[in-house]
Amino acid sequence: MVSAYFLKRIYLSFATHVFDVPARLAAFLLFLLLIFFPVTNPTSQILLLLTLANLGAIFAVSWDLLVGRTGLMSLGHAVFFGLGAYVTALLFVHLGLPPYITIPLSIPVGVLVALIVGFPSLRVKGPYLSLISFAFPLILTGIIYYFKEYTGGERGLYGLPSFFPFLPYKDQFLAEYWFTLLLLFISGVIIYRIANSETGIVLVSILDDELASKASGINVTKYKIMTFVISGIFATIAGSVQAHILRVANTGMLEATISFIPVIVTIFGGIGTLYGPIVGAYFLQLLDGYVLGRIITIPPDWVYAKMLVYALIIIILIILWPRGVARFVTDKLEDLEEARDIDERGSKIWKKYKKKKEKVV
Amino acid sequence: MHLLEVENLSKSFGGLTAVNNVSFHVDEGEIVGIIGPNGAGKTTLFHLISGFLNPDSGTVKFKGENIAGIAPHKIVNKGIARTFQVVRPFRHLPVIANVMVALKSPRGSRKIEWIKTSQRKAVDMLENVGLTELMLEPAENVGHGDLKRLEMARALATEPDLLMLDEPFGGLNPLETDFLTKSIQRIHLDHPTRGIVIVEHKLYALMKIVKRVIVFHQGEKIAEGKPEEIAKNKKVIEVYMGKAM
Repeated sequence: MVSAYFLKRIYLSFATHVFDVPARLAAFLLFLLLIFFPVTNPTSQILLLLTLANLGAIFAVSWDLLVGRTGLMSLGHAVFFGLGAYVTALLFVHLGLPPYITIPLSIPVGVLVALIVGFPSLRVKGPYLSLISFAFPLILTGIIYYFKEYTGGERGLYGLPSFFPFLPYKDQFLAEYWFTLLLLFISGVIIYRIANSETGIVLVSILDDELASKASGINVTKYKIMTFVISGIFATIAGSVQAHILRVANTGMLEATISFIPVIVTIFGGIGTLYGPIVGAYFLQLLDGYVLGRIITIPPDWVYAKMLVYALIIIILIILWPRGVARFVTDKLEDLEEARDIDERGSKIWKKYKKKKEKVV
Repeated sequence: MHLLEVENLSKSFGGLTAVNNVSFHVDEGEIVGIIGPNGAGKTTLFHLISGFLNPDSGTVKFKGENIAGIAPHKIVNKGIARTFQVVRPFRHLPVIANVMVALKSPRGSRKIEWIKTSQRKAVDMLENVGLTELMLEPAENVGHGDLKRLEMARALATEPDLLMLDEPFGGLNPLETDFLTKSIQRIHLDHPTRGIVIVEHKLYALMKIVKRVIVFHQGEKIAEGKPEEIAKNKKVIEVYMGKAM
């Protein structure tokens, strides 16, 4: 009986917090779809594609917290991604530690680097911060090349263990997909809760008007550093998990293209929404890896044309939905909700009016 | 001891001396008006007191402690809150969240007891200035007159001992001006020990509230006294109207 009571309470709280908000309901259904997607028995390539989309989404959500909420336009977020990969790889190669230990160990290193990277954000603003942050992955690349005998230089470190070495090879992809999906869910919820707390309000105030925040007694520097640290932690986790999934850590994970992935994904999905980057990461990953190449086949001579088509599609969609795909969808859902509300209210008033009339008669 | 004591404060930008050797004081529970023509250095003086600019020389003493040159947010947490001449709301946030930002500061969160959440306190603050109806509206949709009042609610949220209002009546119609005048008077009655400094151009509205007026001209203090005295002061009339023929 007691357990039934609690189940009912859990259901009720869930219903009020999730089912009543159309955007959250949509997110919930999407998440269910992703959990049960492997039922369709997809190939391991598609599972790998989606696993990478999960990690890209974590990476992009962490960037969105930094840029969409606090307004610290970082263009060097790859520094955390590559850092996570190298820390876990170095710990495995030189000390032989398993991923369950190396990934948590990469977090304090990520915090340390976030403090170092966050420091220039005290001094500079806007485009200057972007330029400085752009340099950080390059500096880390330089350091990695310098310590060639430990880091493997250009070749990188490879042969990293999988998360589930005890499973048969084909099932590993499935397990990794679910593992990263869980990770995405946890980090998404944590970041969403931070962003919608009272601290999150302060972060938006810094984005809107830094001077007015200061005049409200807010230690802007403290909050900026804090955002850098939180954002850095999740990007570091995404990087270190990716290193174990692809079994390799190399300087490719520190390249400018990696820094720009969260930028494209977030702007495409809806900057400042936090769920937008998740939608964007999936959409673009599937567009790049599945739709172009599988569904629309491209002859081998035209490989470069694929990039062109990809870019064109992104440009057209951004022009169509300038506020992002996710915002476009939630706006539509809220319009529907509002229309329904007005309809119901209208009918209620009509009934009351009718009753009154009957009484009068 | 005075609540705020400004001594020989000077600030120049290049060759222009915006504030020149200014001294004045504000006592507890006093409403002081600062007036002067455009470019008299009133706003610069505000920036110097609230820490947004560092003075070239001179001291600003608040409760006996020199606060000249320390960071703005620290000054707010010591108990000086200010508003801006041009409204600076957080445009993406709802009106109530604008106030909650200030309640998140160390001084603002000081008096939030366990039973009173910051939302409830923010509502109280908005009630002071009569903005509860627009509570959930995003600040970007709110009109200019209401934003002026929102700025004041935000400044009050940190429970300041000294409230500095930079042209609170700027751009308000007579009705709104009247309402704000009453709000300021009520705020004064609620906290009798709180000092209030008002910079204003609309002398008619200002003279009704303040007990003492300081007149600035070209960065210097030229007169100080009760509103009636200032209205008759020859030097002040000269500055505003030009010399008599």
